[in-house]
Amino acid sequence: MLLAGFLALGLSACGPKAEKTGEAPALIGEGWTKYRLSEFHDAQLAFEAARAGSQKGSDDWAMATYGLATTWDLRRPGEDPRKATGLYREILDAAPDSPMTPWTELALVRQQHLVPVGQEPDYKAVNAAYKRIMDKFPGHLAAKEAFLYLESIQLAKLEPKTSRQSEKRLLDFISGGKPEFLSPAWSLLTVAYVTLGEQEKRLEAELKSLELTEVDPSDPFIEFGGRYWNIATIAEFEVGDFALARKYYQLLIDKYPTDIHVHGCKQALKRMDALEAKLRAEEEAK
Amino acid sequence: MPDFLKSSLSFLRTYFALLVVFAVFVWSAWVIATFRAQQTPPGTVVIRLGHWQLEASVREGIDEMAREYRKTHPNVVVVQDAIPEGTYGQWVSTQLMGGTAPDIMQAGGMLPANIWLSYFNRYFLPLSRYANAPNPYNAGTELADVPFRKTHKDGMKTAYVTEMQEYMTVPLSLFGVRIFYNKDLLKKLTGRDEAPRDYREFLAVCEQIRSATNAASGQPYIPIAGSAYHFGHWDGMMFSPLTYGAIRRADFNRDGFVGNDETFVAFKTGLLDFHYPPFKLWLQMLREVTDYFQVGYTGLGRDEAVFLFAQQRAVFMTTGTWDARSLQEQAKDQFEVGIMDFPIPSRDDPVYGEVVEGRIYESPGGGFQFGVSRTSKNPDVAIDFLLFLASQKGNEKINRIIGWIPAIVGTELDPFLKAFEPHLEGIYGNVNFTLGGNTAVAWGQQYSLYQVNQISFEDFAKTYTPFYLKEGLKDFLEQQRDWRRGMQRNEQYLAGIRGRAILADQAAAAAQTPEEKSAAELDAESAWIRYRAITASRQVWDELNHARQMDLVNRDKLPEGFVGPYEYSPRVLEKVRQRIRAGQKAEAAP
Repeated sequence: MLLAGFLALGLSACGPKAEKTGEAPALIGEGWTKYRLSEFHDAQLAFEAARAGSQKGSDDWAMATYGLATTWDLRRPGEDPRKATGLYREILDAAPDSPMTPWTELALVRQQHLVPVGQEPDYKAVNAAYKRIMDKFPGHLAAKEAFLYLESIQLAKLEPKTSRQSEKRLLDFISGGKPEFLSPAWSLLTVAYVTLGEQEKRLEAELKSLELTEVDPSDPFIEFGGRYWNIATIAEFEVGDFALARKYYQLLIDKYPTDIHVHGCKQALKRMDALEAKLRAEEEAK
Repeated sequence: MPDFLKSSLSFLRTYFALLVVFAVFVWSAWVIATFRAQQTPPGTVVIRLGHWQLEASVREGIDEMAREYRKTHPNVVVVQDAIPEGTYGQWVSTQLMGGTAPDIMQAGGMLPANIWLSYFNRYFLPLSRYANAPNPYNAGTELADVPFRKTHKDGMKTAYVTEMQEYMTVPLSLFGVRIFYNKDLLKKLTGRDEAPRDYREFLAVCEQIRSATNAASGQPYIPIAGSAYHFGHWDGMMFSPLTYGAIRRADFNRDGFVGNDETFVAFKTGLLDFHYPPFKLWLQMLREVTDYFQVGYTGLGRDEAVFLFAQQRAVFMTTGTWDARSLQEQAKDQFEVGIMDFPIPSRDDPVYGEVVEGRIYESPGGGFQFGVSRTSKNPDVAIDFLLFLASQKGNEKINRIIGWIPAIVGTELDPFLKAFEPHLEGIYGNVNFTLGGNTAVAWGQQYSLYQVNQISFEDFAKTYTPFYLKEGLKDFLEQQRDWRRGMQRNEQYLAGIRGRAILADQAAAAAQTPEEKSAAELDAESAWIRYRAITASRQVWDELNHARQMDLVNRDKLPEGFVGPYEYSPRVLEKVRQRIRAGQKAEAAP
């Protein structure tokens, strides 16, 4: 009897969780918190409750549906991409003017791009879809993100022709002015210039990328040691601009004295001095 | 016999085992409850602290600091849960999942990194707020106004969880590896008071030790107590740094390191082979030094080597700061323990001089890290106690008691540990000869045979090189098959950050007062910058990095006019020459 009682008690604890109730915005907030904590089941319950508690087509509904779709799309394990696609499409059908629409469109393309292991994406379709987002939502952050993904696919071909085309588009994007994603756009340009063998432009792009790096005001833990090293070595070996190389090697030594590259920086400073001394002596001997 | 007695006996017979278990459970519960009650008088705030450091000095150190803390916080009692390393992972998991975790827990070890990440996410409080504010316990010192994270020698790098963009722990100590030696035995066998600093001198001393016979055992003395565990120390700290020079041949992307793909391409194109001096001499030094280990060391574990050292049958043994105090205790009244740095060859060494560029670089990464659990009933007190332990004075004191290196700047190191002062500038190994499962297995086999002197260097190079060149690409491609999995993980993570940023936008739009609006807008801006920064640094590059890597590993020959990564091309040389010429002309001009 006693055992049966415990068993019944145990089984009742294993039953489905009680449905969540509350205001949709609060439930959406809770859903995202649970999602970030990888509590995907709880996130799903919260988003479902928010969806059920808001009017279909409203902004809250769209946000809740987007959260739910994202959970089904990206949770591991237990993902259901097909269900996620259905939910994303539901947003586009029922709330085409919602602020979530650009992000929903981007999520659908990302599904096409990030295929499971062993499969190759249909790059032609993926590129066209990224382009569609850029045309449909010009200036929106989702469109800018789509632009970066599209250009990274083009540049990954490592071909001079596509790199040149990409260079033009990236320069157009940069001239757009807004600071969002400008630093990675300059970084992508450096890739184009490596493929094109234009080292001076590569160095300039690296410097611009560093200058425009966005720093999270609440997170000052950003290190530029690796980037200083990169700029210094390009300046030294690709461009022959020893003054700039010295500046960045020295910056690394001064700002990050315990960085792993410090030994290399000191060697580099000596190496450049030695080379200049040798060449100077040779010129004087002439 | 009355019926009730009969039935009682029958019940007892049937359920005897269960009753014994129940009785033991009741007894242990009672003992624990009364023990806890003694430790924690009514009305006190109890802070439980869980860790895996069973060294006596650690418990002693924490107890002493708790007593010190009580002087200013009389109602706070700190109770330690010292759990053995072997079970710490399971213990942490059950405590966290069961909602019974201690307030403060040692974190970052005994479980895989991804498990810790998920635990940090679910069960620990972020500490970024405290990391960016001064530590109140540093008042009156030069660190009084310095943000807490900057008071750490490593800038609290190891406490920062990139995936969460939060500081999650407080590191309290730094660690390092050095050679411990028996001072008395060294003196007796070699007549030396000081440990050898130079490599050649060290080998000569080892030879001298080996030629002496231990009167007690009738066996020769063992110069170095080694094991599979200790071999890693020697290789990492002394042998493999000789391979640093490989960057000059194979660091094609000039990031300062030689990746496994770069080594492979350098071998394929003939830029490198095992006869390249840094590689050849690395393997030569390995053989020279391990010849002074006891026979069969590769099959032995850490404890066997420690026994040899403690029983005074061996003179040298490597270990880390974590063992320093224990070894000192074990040797007490028997022999004096000394600590020395790894002896490296001098620059004029006839054999190694050409590849020795300095000492190994040691990253000052903080360990002995503690986080605060979300289930803590007194999180403010728990965090305050951690700040106390990580204050300049507190950190110096706890580390002095334990015998470890303090993590906070401006602290004094125990003189015994001076040799552990990390080398903050130096070189590092560039050994990376495996590309996937098959090459890793073949490497493991050949390298082990070489280690125990069953094959010569020539045979090692002759056997492994063709296998590496034949199977390497296949192995690499197999390993690269799931390269998009990383992108999917990032996508999952980014979606969460994006969701938070969109909510922050909504909160800013809904704010009622100008102050609320301003704070909410700042929060939203911060969330979006964070989102863009992570998107830019992670998600945009995978496609490109994969393409570049594939382009590299498929190369069978070097491009025309190839110059080494750290050599000047004729074009650059000409440019520098022109500049010098122009400068000389300008100087010569009246």
